[in-house]
Amino acid sequence: MEPSFHQPRTLDAALKLLASHEDARPLAGGATLVAMMNAGLAEPPVLVSLRHIKELKAVKALPDGGLRLGAMILHRELASEKRLKGGFAVLREAAGQVAVPPVRNMGTLGGATAFADPAADYPPALAALGARIEAASTKGRRSIAADEFFLDWYAQALEPGEMIAAITLPAWPKNAVGVYEKLAKVTGDLAIVSIALVLAQDKGVVTHLGVAVGGCGPKPVTAPEAARAMIGKPIDDAAIARLGQALAEAADPVDDVRASADYRRLVLPRMLAKAFVRASLPAKERR
Amino acid sequence: MTVHTPIVGTSVPKRDAKEKVLGQARYIADMTRPGMLHGAILQSHVAHARILGYDVSEALKVPGVHAVLTGDDVGDFRMGAFVKDETAIAKEKILYLGEPVAAVAADDEETARYAARLIKVAVEELPGVFSPEEALAPGAPILHEKLESYFKVFPAVCGGNLLSQTEITEGDVAKAWAECDIIVEGEYETQPQYHLSMEPCGALSEIDVDGRITLWSANQSVFRVQANVCESLGLPMSRLRCLTPKVGAGFGNKMEPHIQPICVALTMKTGRPVKMILNRAEDMETVRARHPFKVKMKTGAKKDGTLVAREVEALLDGGAFGDDSPGVLGYSLLMARGPYRIPNARCFGRVAYTNKMRFGAFRGFGNPQVSLAGETQIDQIADKLGIDHFEIRLKNALKDGERWFGGQLLKSNGLIECIEKARAASESVKHLKSQAAKGKLRGRGIAVGGHISGLLATGAIVRLLEDGTAVLNTGAVDIGQGSDTVLTQLCAETLRLPLDKVALASPDTDGSPYNWGTTASRVTYTTGRAVVAASKDVERQIKDHAAAMLNTTPDQLELRDGGFVGIKGSNTQLPYLAVSARAHWGVGGPIVGTNTLVFDTPTIDPKHGAATGLPFGQIGVFSFCAMVCEVDIDETTGKVEPVRAWYAADVGKAINPRLVEVQMEGGFVQGMGFALTEELVWEGPRLVNPNLRDYKAPTMLDAPYDIHTQIVEHPEPDGPCGAKGVGEISLVPVPAAIANAIADAAGIHLTQLPFTPERVLNAMLAKKS
Amino acid sequence: MRRTKQASPLITLSINGNDHMAVVKPFTTLLQVLRDQLGLTGAKCGCNQGVCGACTVLIDGKPARACLSLAANCTGRQIVTIEGVGSVAQPSRVQQAFIDAGAVQCGFCTPGMVLSSESLLAENPKPSVAEIRTALSGNLCRCTGYKRIIEAVRLASKAEAQP
Ligand SMILES: Cc1cc2nc3c(=O)[nH]c(=O)nc-3n(C[C@H](O)[C@H](O)[C@H](O)COP(=O)(O)OP(=O)(O)OC[C@H]3O[C@@H](n4cnc5c(N)ncnc54)[C@H](O)[C@@H]3O)c2cc1C
Ligand code: FES
Ligand code: FES
Repeated sequence: MEPSFHQPRTLDAALKLLASHEDARPLAGGATLVAMMNAGLAEPPVLVSLRHIKELKAVKALPDGGLRLGAMILHRELASEKRLKGGFAVLREAAGQVAVPPVRNMGTLGGATAFADPAADYPPALAALGARIEAASTKGRRSIAADEFFLDWYAQALEPGEMIAAITLPAWPKNAVGVYEKLAKVTGDLAIVSIALVLAQDKGVVTHLGVAVGGCGPKPVTAPEAARAMIGKPIDDAAIARLGQALAEAADPVDDVRASADYRRLVLPRMLAKAFVRASLPAKERR
Repeated sequence: MTVHTPIVGTSVPKRDAKEKVLGQARYIADMTRPGMLHGAILQSHVAHARILGYDVSEALKVPGVHAVLTGDDVGDFRMGAFVKDETAIAKEKILYLGEPVAAVAADDEETARYAARLIKVAVEELPGVFSPEEALAPGAPILHEKLESYFKVFPAVCGGNLLSQTEITEGDVAKAWAECDIIVEGEYETQPQYHLSMEPCGALSEIDVDGRITLWSANQSVFRVQANVCESLGLPMSRLRCLTPKVGAGFGNKMEPHIQPICVALTMKTGRPVKMILNRAEDMETVRARHPFKVKMKTGAKKDGTLVAREVEALLDGGAFGDDSPGVLGYSLLMARGPYRIPNARCFGRVAYTNKMRFGAFRGFGNPQVSLAGETQIDQIADKLGIDHFEIRLKNALKDGERWFGGQLLKSNGLIECIEKARAASESVKHLKSQAAKGKLRGRGIAVGGHISGLLATGAIVRLLEDGTAVLNTGAVDIGQGSDTVLTQLCAETLRLPLDKVALASPDTDGSPYNWGTTASRVTYTTGRAVVAASKDVERQIKDHAAAMLNTTPDQLELRDGGFVGIKGSNTQLPYLAVSARAHWGVGGPIVGTNTLVFDTPTIDPKHGAATGLPFGQIGVFSFCAMVCEVDIDETTGKVEPVRAWYAADVGKAINPRLVEVQMEGGFVQGMGFALTEELVWEGPRLVNPNLRDYKAPTMLDAPYDIHTQIVEHPEPDGPCGAKGVGEISLVPVPAAIANAIADAAGIHLTQLPFTPERVLNAMLAKKS
Repeated sequence: MRRTKQASPLITLSINGNDHMAVVKPFTTLLQVLRDQLGLTGAKCGCNQGVCGACTVLIDGKPARACLSLAANCTGRQIVTIEGVGSVAQPSRVQQAFIDAGAVQCGFCTPGMVLSSESLLAENPKPSVAEIRTALSGNLCRCTGYKRIIEAVRLASKAEAQP
């Protein structure tokens, strides 16, 4: 079969095209997919460009304080999205550190999330926020929690014919603070280690906490029990160290050209501590 | 009464800047020829094997394919800068993973690449060696069984997998250790660095009805291209003409051949123009990279800081072919004593063949690697003796009239002034460790170096045109650094012509005088000498004509701005037009000035030093540099961030100061990449990061903006207007300066490049505990 | 299969203010169309992976990777290449500043650098050094060490300010 290229105007039309062939692929920004095609690593028989589907570009504040972000929102747009404040700021900071400006002008939230690169910036941010991925197909829609969405290296929970329509961020308390710490070899590279932290506190006592780590294994690393254990307790160095320890133990990093697994385990708790320090600063001093 | 406005010493804009900003400059990938085919290579999947045969039938069946090339199509002809060990395409044996083993010419690139993948190569796999230690171990599998029979341009000490071995000595090291009050020792390791010219390598060749071939390519020397292609294909040089479009930079990678021999072979096979442009992965996997070094160094000094002895042992990975390896080895050993007076020194090294891509020339040519060891040891000695880092260098720095390691006399040496200038500039900005941002450690490091500019032959032809304007032809390839501009400035200055009245011929092996290449920081110095001499030859002829026309003698005449020749002290003058008209139409014939030369000052003076296995006898004149670098270290992660750099470089005379400064700035950032983030990583036989996603050079945000440069001018007596080179010296001290800055900030002495966050943090933590 | 004999669709692209027809397959990139079909070779192929920035063009005013943009996906968008900026008689202020500041060496990165700078100055006529460094961080240069390029953008922004 000859490869074909489509530019549907509606989500329904896109979903039909995606259902037409088991290897049909959505094309979002193309920053990853076209790079793979250029390298001979992908040859999708049916390519469905999502660029004309207006509803995929929408940002919507939800009545409960949550936020629904369309899959085709650009990294650049997210990086300057005013509604990404408080706890959501972790996603804004992450978006501002994805790649370099020209790539941020192309790449999208949905594309980067679907690609599920564990060293990329959105997976840990979404995991820390407890985001839900809204999947759509001709069969209907379903919502998948971030920690069930990212499964393995470059693998996620989407079924054939299914695509990301939007991502919903659940409400966080008004006083929550989100910070994103990224260590990379050079500007715009994938993370060696990244820390996504969402923290709400009341007079030094943790009330809400979300934390996930990028670059340290096949998917965003979390330590739910250790995180839960901090709730209701004062933030102190020992508690942060315990959380760092738990995350380092949960991590499953590999040696690669960016760094060794040992180094990632070593630096993870150190960066976590820094993230806590920054999250506790008054807003103006945070950057 | 005659006013002279100098052209030399002024920062005129580069000649090609305008076409480049407009996007109109043409590089090899931008060229097409009528009837042109596109070529593509098949790369080997094994690192070491005997080739048993090829099945090209499937590839030939693909519509649009015109020819397939394999090792069977080329004779047993071998090329190589020092040891002629390399065939145009793998023949009989495969020596590294990724090596081109076959090639296809087809109507378009996509077809060529598709068809290349259909070629089957039957091989008998052989065990490989992937480090010099493995390669030199007894019983190791041998890469070049016929090494002994290969032609070598120098008496190489070689055998088995040993490609070359060099030793240089002065004084008596063994005895000297006893005189030392303090001795420091260390082992250092440096990684392979990829040149990363933004333009990948490529070539385009065509053939005429008489079988004469024209070849354009991304290169640093049309003459080296000509020699290599002809040697590897068994062609007389008269059958191949080499030209160059604009070149998207070369840092050593485009000096010796890449795809040109294969491209020409495909043109010969098809009778059609063929273009081959390497993609980035192929460029990384098949061209060349900076040699990984292992260096053992020991340096001894007296209590007062006087350096007494140094001993060096280096082991280099050469990769599968000789390429420039013997040169890099020999040169690095010659540089390993540093720009210091160390009366007793012994520098010994070996380079071995391994089953990896060849390693070769890269800006610095082995000097940055040994300077890392040497310059960090100087700091360590100073620290142990409680001497200031600048002072110990000032105390031991070679001065004018002293000799480089091996005995060559230094006729121009601004090292001391460089150190003083870099010191003053850096000290004008207070070094406050407390200035570092929270969570960062700040430190400063100094490093100095010397580097040659020179080597081999060059020439220039200056023709005076009928109207009295001139055209200069040197055969030197401008790879972006601006030699076209600098050489034109020298010609215009000598002939007193405005810059726009001096045209420049593009390098052409048919019409240009021989030029060994744009390498070894040599064009300004060597080619500049030839340009000035050829221009003076024209001056002499102009004056001879004018003397006859004005009834005077040549010694009474002077050249004047705007292209006039006049009688000294008088208003009488002639435009060159009148002189050239006489020469063209009346007497004597058109005026052509020529000069050729070869650098001929011996490197080793047997009264001072001795060398064995050194592949060059006459290397060049010396430029010098001192730099101070300031870095911050992130205490959380160990990541090193250069904040500022202060440079001072002695370039003899800056013909175009701004072009000199850009060399320093660019050298810093490339050196910083070498020091901190860049590394080609092999896992066994496989290069695991042959792409720019995984090979990381500094971006604009990683490089410091604050690079402060100063030019020092100690004129080289025979340099053009006193000039010598700057291309490489700018990179040489960078890794060492960064190492010393890290030591200053965190008290750790790193010996292995690159200084990744991991290595830095581990060392900081080890020091704490 | 990637290699296909079937006729490929004809598309119209708006480049430098003019409509251009191109014959494309689904996998044909904008960079290939510009360079191979339209003879607009100012955009360079440095990596074909989106990393180097040599292929930079402006799409709807913003710098983008031509190597990562499928041509078929660029219909209806305004594309500006280096050929659409300035002329021999009158280089743009940015182009002139690159010449004057000595920001050009081998020139392979230059078209992309110029376009990224044009876009920056259009959005932010008086950028700080930090803003310049961020805006151009997606364009690699191996020759200049970047300093002169930053100077060029600063120079252009000053020239811009004068009427
Ligand atoms: C030079 C460079 C540097 C980079 N650096 C970083 C970095 O530092 N951090 C980082 O996080 N990322 C980085 N990336 C990746 C970048 O974020 C990409 O934009 C992203 O991974 C892919 O997004 P896209 O919109 O371009 O998707 P595409 O490339 O179009 O698609 C990617 C994949 O997702 C699928 N897809 C796209 N949209 C959807 C959807 N809505 N639903 C389901 N599947 C979909 C596609 O079929 C494809 O398989 C870098 C990329 C480049 C080229
Ligand atoms: S060629 Fe497009 S970014 Fe390198
Ligand atoms: S000028 Fe050569 S890459 Fe920038």
